[in-house]
Amino acid sequence: MSIIDAKAEPGRTSGFFPITILLLVIFPLLIMPLAAIYFFAASSGIKGFIETLRQPDVLFALRFSLLIAFATALINGVLGTYTAYVLAKYQFRGSKALSILVNLPVAIPTVVVGTSLLLLWGPIGILGGFLDPLGVRPMFAPAGVLLAHLFVTFPYMLGAVKPVLDELEKTYEEAAYTIGASKWQTFRYVLLPALRGGLFAGALLTFAHSLGEFGATVLVSGNLRLRTQTAPLYIFAQFEAGNIETANTVAAILATFSFLLFFLLLRFTQNDSQREQE
Amino acid sequence: MSEFRKSPRFFSRHKTNWRLLIQRLLVFSSVGSLALFVTWPWLPWVNRPETRTIVIYGFSILGEVMNEEILPAFQTEWEQQTGERVEFITSFAGSGTITNQIILGVPADLAILSTELDAYRLVENRILEQDAWHRLPNKGILNRSPFIILVRAGNPKGIHGFEDLTKPGVGIVHPDPLTSGGAQWAILAEYGSAYLTLQDEEQAYDQLAGIWKNVVAQAASARSARTQFENGFGDALITYEQEALRDKSLGKLTAEIIYPESTILSEHTVVVINKNIEPEDRYVIDALLQFLWSDKAQSLFVEHGYRSIHEELNGTNPNFGLIASPFVVNDLGGWQQAKQEIVDSLWMEKVLMEITP
Repeated sequence: MSIIDAKAEPGRTSGFFPITILLLVIFPLLIMPLAAIYFFAASSGIKGFIETLRQPDVLFALRFSLLIAFATALINGVLGTYTAYVLAKYQFRGSKALSILVNLPVAIPTVVVGTSLLLLWGPIGILGGFLDPLGVRPMFAPAGVLLAHLFVTFPYMLGAVKPVLDELEKTYEEAAYTIGASKWQTFRYVLLPALRGGLFAGALLTFAHSLGEFGATVLVSGNLRLRTQTAPLYIFAQFEAGNIETANTVAAILATFSFLLFFLLLRFTQNDSQREQE
Repeated sequence: MSEFRKSPRFFSRHKTNWRLLIQRLLVFSSVGSLALFVTWPWLPWVNRPETRTIVIYGFSILGEVMNEEILPAFQTEWEQQTGERVEFITSFAGSGTITNQIILGVPADLAILSTELDAYRLVENRILEQDAWHRLPNKGILNRSPFIILVRAGNPKGIHGFEDLTKPGVGIVHPDPLTSGGAQWAILAEYGSAYLTLQDEEQAYDQLAGIWKNVVAQAASARSARTQFENGFGDALITYEQEALRDKSLGKLTAEIIYPESTILSEHTVVVINKNIEPEDRYVIDALLQFLWSDKAQSLFVEHGYRSIHEELNGTNPNFGLIASPFVVNDLGGWQQAKQEIVDSLWMEKVLMEITP
């Protein structure tokens, strides 16, 4: 009997040990560092918090970061979806190589991305050298930050949309055409509904990564306060300068944003899979 | 795959789904207010005064005094005189870092470097003309600060000068000479203090090498080295006197300042990056340059712990410590010679080799 019991309820008793170990590992590794931000924020008091939030540098950094993240999500949302569509639908010479190439940014260190952008678009760069006399200087300006973020986050949209498109059978699309649907109608009523979850997840991931991007931004932005300083750069600068409280306040806000985005992401992907089961 | 869905869900239901409606309203209103917050300064009905923007880069420890005192003081003065608003965009990091950024093309109009050495690097990269900054007031030197040693409260390791830093068991936090101008000054202080008092190259070298054997942490700038020291690293920090005095005046200084018998007075150089200056901004830059060497700005520097180039102003800060025999880089033959003979030939080629395992 006892053997059957153990089979019926796997892990209820024997699971105690592995779960405890998992928690013991995860607690100092993941949970405590995050808690430290809020703990420190709470101990420095609400007054300091509000005072920090009234500084123009802080407001600018937060606004700038959010704007860039939004723009990045929007542009890469469209570009990534288009790339995924082309790669999923057409087989051509080199399409394999191309699909590996477009995923490369996840593997490249962000500092390398920053350097390569500077060597391309910077005033001493390959293209930048030609643009500089014309007065076009994308680096050390908001445009440079955007370029860096587009590069770094490119694969996230792709990764979220492409699997859906790969699975989506061509017959749906073809069926739509046979009943006289236009290209736009097919996209609007066939592809888009199927892609909704992927689009949303991809956009949120892109947004979240852009919000936290540091390595490439620090190189291409010139770290100019009130012009190109993003929230992560601000945190780093303040921490280095020894203004730990100010740095931590902004860190806490950024962390909260990320949590919210993550929960939103979780909710949407869950909703989506539920809907599919309905 | 699910069925075609032509319209969003809550319209297709017969009964209004209040929970969903409220949920969506909440999401939309929070997203909307966030969007409003983000775009606020750029909205058409927000008043934006016409301003001129000047971009200034500076070495790490200058951040506060420039952002909080000097630039706002100039702003007010300028507005009173001309009715025009001038906005400053600034960035502060290690002197070597900002020099590299300027070489790469950041739009700096003006930069304050911690050493003249970095100015020469800008010449090498054809950003500046040879000795262009020597035409500025006081040969481009804005202010000074002697290099001192910060030790833990009570001085548990018994450090009284650079020679004590060579003792075994003393952990030193030092900025990184690759990116920090302060680190270059520190090397000159460590070598020069022994060399100039003992007139003996070998003993001076031993002091430099002995100190570097004890370095436990290197930071990108003088300011980040101080942050490391404050966070509990090491027993001693070699840095600008100003760094310590600022905390002292705020009553935050927990460490102790040790004034060596002999140490170097750092001299901070202003450079003007002509190629980045719009012709119509020229006169503002000129006015700002004048202001930087005026008694008003120099007094503000003194208040913040920098030693002014006007000796008479230095009496106003009672916190300045006494240094028996201070020296400047010219006593070592000027920066170009000192860089070659001390930083490159001794520190980089010999000391670094010795301490790398």
